[in-house]
Amino acid sequence: MHLLFIEDSTRLQTSVGRGLRKAGYAVDITGDGNEGLWLAESNEYDTIILDLMLPGLDGLSVLSRLRARQNAAHVLILTAKDTVENRVTGLQTGADDYLVKPFAFEELLARVQALCRRSYQRKNPRITIDDLEIDTAARVAVRKNKTVELTPREFMLLEYLALRRGQVVSRTEIEAHIYSDSADLMSNAVDSAICGLRRKIGRTGASPLIHTRRGMGYVMESEPA
Amino acid sequence: MNSIQRRLTLTLVALCCLLWGGGSLAAYLTIRAGLVSEFDRAHTTDIDALSNMAEQSEQGLKFDATGEYMPAFQREDRPDYFQLWQTDGAVLYRSPAWQGDLPRAAGTLASPKFWNVTLPDGLRGRAVGVRFVPNEDEDTPRTPGGPALIKEVILVAAFHRHELDARLHYLGMVLLLVGMAIAVATMVVVPLVVRRGLWPLSALAERAASIDASSLQMRFQTDNMPAELLPIMKRLNDLLARLEASFTRERRFSADVAHELRTPIAELRTLAEVALKWPDEVTAEALKDALQIALQMETIATGLMALARCEGSLLPVRPERVSVGELLEEVLHPLAAQAHAKQLAVTVEVPKDACWFTDRATLRSIFTGLLSNAVDHTQSATSVKARVENNGASQRLLISNRCGSLVQEDISHLFERFWQKNEARSSTHHCGLGLALARAYAQSLGMTLEAQLNHTEIIFILSGASPCTGADLAQEPPRQVDSQF
Repeated sequence: MHLLFIEDSTRLQTSVGRGLRKAGYAVDITGDGNEGLWLAESNEYDTIILDLMLPGLDGLSVLSRLRARQNAAHVLILTAKDTVENRVTGLQTGADDYLVKPFAFEELLARVQALCRRSYQRKNPRITIDDLEIDTAARVAVRKNKTVELTPREFMLLEYLALRRGQVVSRTEIEAHIYSDSADLMSNAVDSAICGLRRKIGRTGASPLIHTRRGMGYVMESEPA
Repeated sequence: MNSIQRRLTLTLVALCCLLWGGGSLAAYLTIRAGLVSEFDRAHTTDIDALSNMAEQSEQGLKFDATGEYMPAFQREDRPDYFQLWQTDGAVLYRSPAWQGDLPRAAGTLASPKFWNVTLPDGLRGRAVGVRFVPNEDEDTPRTPGGPALIKEVILVAAFHRHELDARLHYLGMVLLLVGMAIAVATMVVVPLVVRRGLWPLSALAERAASIDASSLQMRFQTDNMPAELLPIMKRLNDLLARLEASFTRERRFSADVAHELRTPIAELRTLAEVALKWPDEVTAEALKDALQIALQMETIATGLMALARCEGSLLPVRPERVSVGELLEEVLHPLAAQAHAKQLAVTVEVPKDACWFTDRATLRSIFTGLLSNAVDHTQSATSVKARVENNGASQRLLISNRCGSLVQEDISHLFERFWQKNEARSSTHHCGLGLALARAYAQSLGMTLEAQLNHTEIIFILSGASPCTGADLAQEPPRQVDSQF
């Protein structure tokens, strides 16, 4: 999942960014409203975490311009402004969620997960494909009652493919959603990641779930289409 | 409920009824007196005629009150009555309609006596009495040595007054009915008139009642308003404007405080939570961040406590002789590196003998606040100037620097707590308390601190300093060096 974190506090950028990356998200970070707007318009983010008091362009202006340009990315406002009026204004401007500072990192993570699920029209954090069960909240994958050991990025890739079950997902889309702009992306990084993931979830001897569509990308489903 | 409209309506209705009742009563009494007077005057003629009918001679008194001359005494229906007495009470004549006695009282022919009386037939009447000497009978001349003539007689005549009473009753009824109609009309009309007259006041009250914290931008429209209400409305508009400004300031203050306090707490909490969740990721950089956050919050807490001390007049003030030039140089010394890095030309134009009798530590804090603010916020490669001027009996310090981003409106906010020109409040080095503290310190020393914007130059003026005198030496306490910054 690809996130954009627009926050002018460098300390929060560091700590929240580190936490989100450790949780398996690809995170782009900026401290300026104008740059944040540019990034949001230039990339396809699953969720944008947006501060309101920003240099350059304030958060509400960023949000209203995004919505005016039909950008449907889910936006979570993360701010110190805590009045009901602030919350109502934020939500009415187009935010999907509102979290007041100080906050519990686990809560931020849960809200981000919920927003990411909502991007794929899913409310249940559990995804089941054949004999593979993925708990997106607990970040655990189980196949044939055995836990599959995955790195955060592998889990994110699995989650992304599972959320788009039955759809062909191109390499470009995977790059956009799994890797942040800071990643030193090699040309075969996606293929390598898919290969590694296939090996781990197929280790138990079960039928393959990730299928290649030559020239198009990958699709995850129980039986080949 | 105590309502002006209700009180005014009741008072006006009562007053109108009272005035109409009083006026009607006065009119009734006046008309009645006139009618009675007219009635009496008419019967004065009758009593004159009756008195002329009495003639005396040596044969005695002759009274010819026959029906020919006075038919009113002869008629059968409601006749009038008269009676004639000698002064000793002996009855000489009485009207034929009744054989009883009338009340005996008398005035003179020139001024007869009138009074109300109940007539023998039980009806109300009006009596008139005169005392007079009857004329001598010219047809019967007196003989010398003849008997003496009667000296005086008393004549009383009583007349029915039912016509007079009927007219008075009619008049009374007319006045009463008209009065009642007017009272009813007053009760209907007065509330309408009062309501219409007090409409601007009602509208004002209704508008004022609708004002709450969310509608402080509302103002009273003064067009077409009565002159009596204009001063009130103008004052209310002024108050609303001040209240709105105060609420806006309060909201901004709350938002600024929230940001200044919540953001570092959020930073610290996230730092700790992420470190606990992934302990292998804890770095020295993270610990340094935690320390910086703690120091930042300590600065805010110290500033707020210092402000509280100033407001509570808890700041100790120990006046002593302070060399202004030396203190400025002392404060500027630690700022030299920062000024050099920004290529600032810092000049101090203070006479060598400039000396203020004040609290050194507090003054040092003011200088530190003003000069560090100037060095922090002035544009690079410009200048910061500090100079002392005489201002009457006192002296003042002016600190000026170039500041391109400020506008005139910002000047009124400069000394507000937590105010920052940068609305994003991105800086972790400033929290917006420095100038508020400097002003609070100045006030605790009996000085004033103001700011002026001259195009792109901001000038802070510290006024009201007392120059040293010879008498100060005796009051000077032992020297203490301290800084509240």
